[in-house]
Amino acid sequence: MPSAEALAEKKKVEGINSDYEEKFGFHDPETGYAYKAPKGLNREIVEEISRYKDEPQWMRDFRLKALEQFQSRPTPQWGGDLDQIDFDDIHYFVRASEKNSRDWSEVPEDIKNTFDRLGIPEAERKFLAGVGAQYESEVVYHQVNEQLEAQGVIFTDMDTALREHEDLVKEYWATVIPPNDNKLAALNSAVWSGGSFVYVPAGVKVEMPLQAYFRINTENMGQFERTLIIAEEGSDVHYIEGCTAPVYSSDSLHSAVVEIVAKKDARVRYTTVQNWSQNVFNLVTKRAVAHEGATMEWVDCNLGSKLTMKYPSIYLLGERAHGEILSIAFAGDGQHQDAGGKIIHGAPKTTSSIFSKSISKDGGRSTYRGLLEVADGATETRSKVVCDALLLDEDSRSDTYPTIRIDENDADIGHEATVSKVGDDMLFYLQSRGLSEEEASKMIVNGFIEPVTKELPMEYAVELNRLIELQMEGSIG
Amino acid sequence: MSSEETTTVTVCPASELGVGERLIFEHGGEPIAVFNAGGELFAIEDRCSHDDGPLAEGEWNPADCTVECPRHGSLFDLRTGKPKTLPAFQPVRTFPVEIIDDKITLEV
Repeated sequence: MPSAEALAEKKKVEGINSDYEEKFGFHDPETGYAYKAPKGLNREIVEEISRYKDEPQWMRDFRLKALEQFQSRPTPQWGGDLDQIDFDDIHYFVRASEKNSRDWSEVPEDIKNTFDRLGIPEAERKFLAGVGAQYESEVVYHQVNEQLEAQGVIFTDMDTALREHEDLVKEYWATVIPPNDNKLAALNSAVWSGGSFVYVPAGVKVEMPLQAYFRINTENMGQFERTLIIAEEGSDVHYIEGCTAPVYSSDSLHSAVVEIVAKKDARVRYTTVQNWSQNVFNLVTKRAVAHEGATMEWVDCNLGSKLTMKYPSIYLLGERAHGEILSIAFAGDGQHQDAGGKIIHGAPKTTSSIFSKSISKDGGRSTYRGLLEVADGATETRSKVVCDALLLDEDSRSDTYPTIRIDENDADIGHEATVSKVGDDMLFYLQSRGLSEEEASKMIVNGFIEPVTKELPMEYAVELNRLIELQMEGSIG
Repeated sequence: MSSEETTTVTVCPASELGVGERLIFEHGGEPIAVFNAGGELFAIEDRCSHDDGPLAEGEWNPADCTVECPRHGSLFDLRTGKPKTLPAFQPVRTFPVEIIDDKITLEV
């Protein structure tokens, strides 16, 4: 007989199963929008975005140069099928509200309702040190704990940061990911809008996470936020982002750039729970540099989207720097999750690990694509790469493309990869202990991803488990 | 490669490399680029330390003394050979360059 608690949990999970469309997939009317750029990308649009934001000349020049680079680079032919994206059928800039507010009551009603449904201010009250909410192209709400502000912590949206901390932004801007790094980074550099800017002064430890939530509402919209995190010597910060979008029949594009600089002995953790609807192309470049003794951790959970291509990377450039990448990908019907991670050991005594877990069901395709590099001169390095794939049925697919390049003799590198299927014997064994087939299957999946969920803050671990349960509904029989 | 032994290489008459111009040539199978930034000359190996591809044909800025790798955008300082942005993180070689008898001359 299941306990009352178990029944309540089951009911909750069943409640969530009212599907993505209801919980995250709703969309609001676009009434009262301040500005919506016509579809398509050209010099005029880029100049208009910059003019609209009243940016300094160097940023305007940066955007225009990046546009040329985007236009001159071919579309990548590896990974997912990017030829499906019609770059002329996208709104590159949509401003929903005239102002970015620090007071929740000032946020326009429709937008406020959206974030209320997604639980944003609630989360802030509970356990966050700061929160930002981006709706379409710009951040509509931003708040940071006053104590942190007094300690010199800056947590604001990127547009505001460029206005109020221009020198600081300019010093680090595009130093980790230059526009010409790849075609999508060039696109982001040309039309970027919103995103977060985080600056943590030396020695300051931000005990509670900072959170940003990204929401696309408009159909055929492109969201191109740009995030820059600078953790000064000995500082510590955890940044979390969540993303959702309505369900539409035509596609939207999300192409972010995230740059992180972790200075000597700093620690930065960046957690993503990506749950885009299944008509969003999610093509993101994330890269961090870790200096001497610094620790950088990416926790990357990819559940939604039509196609995700994302390989968070860490350059370990100072002695004893440490990098960790934990990646989960869940590919359901019609989804392709091409994810993984890259770690480059560029200094001696650096250590790292990549743990990747992918689950494919209903014909979904998950790909692990990773790079581990030990550069010339990076002696006494240690690294471990583990990529596990779980296939839930015969139609699903999993591919693994690990690349390892080692230029030093004394590197200690481990690589493990497994592909497993949920077999009848596993299900039978659990069913013989009183579980239904569906419960047994969920339990296997939850056990499979447990090494990652245990690294998340509790609220996010619960949310992730529920999202996975939601994806799992109806997967058996 | 030993950095102790150097060879003097005469590249071309100084008049052939005007201000704001660059020249790429090969010496002993190694591509080298010379830049004239406002009258000051700089020479670096023409190889991006990120992927070993050609570097010097990328966009360069004489005022900042930088050249941008045409493939992945790393910006290199011509004075030091050090990258100012990722994805490259190791320096490229630089060579002393001077004008001797009206000819651009390198120590390679």
